Amino acid sequence: MTDTTLRTDTAPPQLASRHRAVGLAWTTLPYLVSVVLAFMVGALVIVALGHDPILAFQSALTTSFSTPYGFTQTLQKWVTICLCALAFTIPLATGKFNIGAEGQLLVGATGGVAVGILASDLPMFILLPCVLIAGILAGAAWAGIAAFLMVRFRVNEILSTVLLNFIAFQVIDYVASNVWPHRGAGHPETIPVGDGARLPGIGNPPFHSGVILTVLICVGVAVWMRRSSTGFEMRAVGANLRASLVHGVRTSRMAGAGLVIGGGLAGLAGAIEVAGVHGNMLEGMQSNFLILGIIVGLMARGSIVAVPFVAFGIAVLEIGASSMQRTAGVPIEVVLIIEALILIFLLLSTVVRDRFGSAA
Amino acid sequence: MNEVVQLLTLMIPAMVPFLLAAQGTILSGRAGVFNVSQEGLMVLGAAVGFLVSFKLGSNTLGLLAALAIGGLFGLILAYTTTLLRLDQFVVGLALYFAALGLASLLYRAVIGVTLEPPLIPTLDSYPIPILSKIPVVGEILFDHDLVVYFTLLLSFALYWFMYRTSAGMRFRSVGENPKAADSVGINVVRIRMWAGVTGAALMAMAGAYLPMVYTGTFTEGMVGGRGWLVIALAFLGGWRPQLVVAGAAFFAGMEVLALRSQVAGIDIPHQFIAMLPYVATLVVMIFAFRWARQPQFLGLNYDRESRMVG
Repeated sequence: MTDTTLRTDTAPPQLASRHRAVGLAWTTLPYLVSVVLAFMVGALVIVALGHDPILAFQSALTTSFSTPYGFTQTLQKWVTICLCALAFTIPLATGKFNIGAEGQLLVGATGGVAVGILASDLPMFILLPCVLIAGILAGAAWAGIAAFLMVRFRVNEILSTVLLNFIAFQVIDYVASNVWPHRGAGHPETIPVGDGARLPGIGNPPFHSGVILTVLICVGVAVWMRRSSTGFEMRAVGANLRASLVHGVRTSRMAGAGLVIGGGLAGLAGAIEVAGVHGNMLEGMQSNFLILGIIVGLMARGSIVAVPFVAFGIAVLEIGASSMQRTAGVPIEVVLIIEALILIFLLLSTVVRDRFGSAA
Repeated sequence: MNEVVQLLTLMIPAMVPFLLAAQGTILSGRAGVFNVSQEGLMVLGAAVGFLVSFKLGSNTLGLLAALAIGGLFGLILAYTTTLLRLDQFVVGLALYFAALGLASLLYRAVIGVTLEPPLIPTLDSYPIPILSKIPVVGEILFDHDLVVYFTLLLSFALYWFMYRTSAGMRFRSVGENPKAADSVGINVVRIRMWAGVTGAALMAMAGAYLPMVYTGTFTEGMVGGRGWLVIALAFLGGWRPQLVVAGAAFFAGMEVLALRSQVAGIDIPHQFIAMLPYVATLVVMIFAFRWARQPQFLGLNYDRESRMVG
């Protein structure tokens, strides 16, 4: 069912390095073509709206690199997008769709903010790890509900994860307006966490150290999925359910574990948003990270290794989008349409490759 | 008593978005096309329906425009999955994003940013002569707008088509076992294409109904997860057009009750009341997946060249 999304290696391992380079080019070419095509359609839309596409794309693509502030913003955005994309991609490896990164992020943020407020006097070296771990556990537990329903009662995971998002919206609304409300903020948000719960900044202008943490997590998850036996079993469940069942893999447990791990990472994203970006929890902090995470995961075609790179590209676009709206007057939604188009063209490229590319 | 009648009268129009979109989901699903872009299509249908009604001054044209745009998205889904055999969930999610983006973009391009939201007239109600004079029942069932009647008739027609005609049996066989269907000369691709297009069109129409009956204007959050609940509804009703009516009544009842209890000022934080429909759905899903059957080839693409049976 998911064979189109899980095809990660185009070149068999026995190929020589020269062939590997060809294989890499063969993998990246569809990305380039899809991006160019999507931007061309986007340009048509922008022209139809009566704006200048060159100016729009210039600010959409260069904002991240033209100012130091834009670059740190991009890095911080990358953290959340990347973790949400992993939250989607890891369950996808087992053939399950996690559409609940948003809810898991919010509940993770709730866990993080709870620890950060209740234990605000603790020194940083104790409090900060506790905040992040609370986020992971809360996110994992939230996804765990869906995993339990899936393993025990065969409830479709697309449904349960989505429904849990809507429950999470109400949970954080309650926490932000009744439990630890920040009076006078004019918007449901909690009081700030203690100073010890803030991620220290790096560089000038500073970006939070969650960036480093995320890099480590990306490497760790990629190695773990490719080299550990659990990672192998997970991928096996997604690649061929029946074969892995026959070989004694506990398939439903693996699928459930994938969801829980994904939920933990999304929860960590929420805790990092609290500890690194906002300093408290506020309604609407999930932004559009769910959609971006899924887009990145699908664009990476389930490849854990590709996720951080694709996520960076999307982060650049997202940071550029708002400046595009300011400078060229082009509505921010154009970027979402371009992203969806890149994804659709990328999917179509699989068909093109299968039909005409088998000789190469 | 009066209170109950009033709630039930409110419940019938509240059923319509759920029921229309669920019938669309079932129509696609029974042929094996699992559309997961309901939420996006409903938002897009709401935007297109609202904008066309606003610009051309006719709600009927708005509904038709929503049907058309939904059909177009359904065509993309059906074409890429039946003929190109791309993954149905992946394409469905991509279309969900595209529909969300397109909806806000269209609204932004046509209306722009305004202080006062533009309004369209809500749909008039057409009491059915004689029937609407029946005490209680007439008031609850037969004094609504035309879309309500259309939806109820459509539900009945779909049931009749699927279970009482031989064409319907051929239609269902495509979702159960396309290989067997193909072997007796049923055109699997054509049926799946039609199912995908009409199903998505109904979903978008369900979205267009929202601004025309509730607010008279379009906001991005107005669908509010109904699209996802609709998927739950389809599973809950066992992918049967007749059972889904009861499910839609359940969801609509929840919605109306949640609104009513907020107004009545019951001493529970409103967030807990607002999460009730979703919690209840999760709980009900536990039982639904126990007993409800689903089409065997739901969400799976058919490749006539493949040697796998299923």
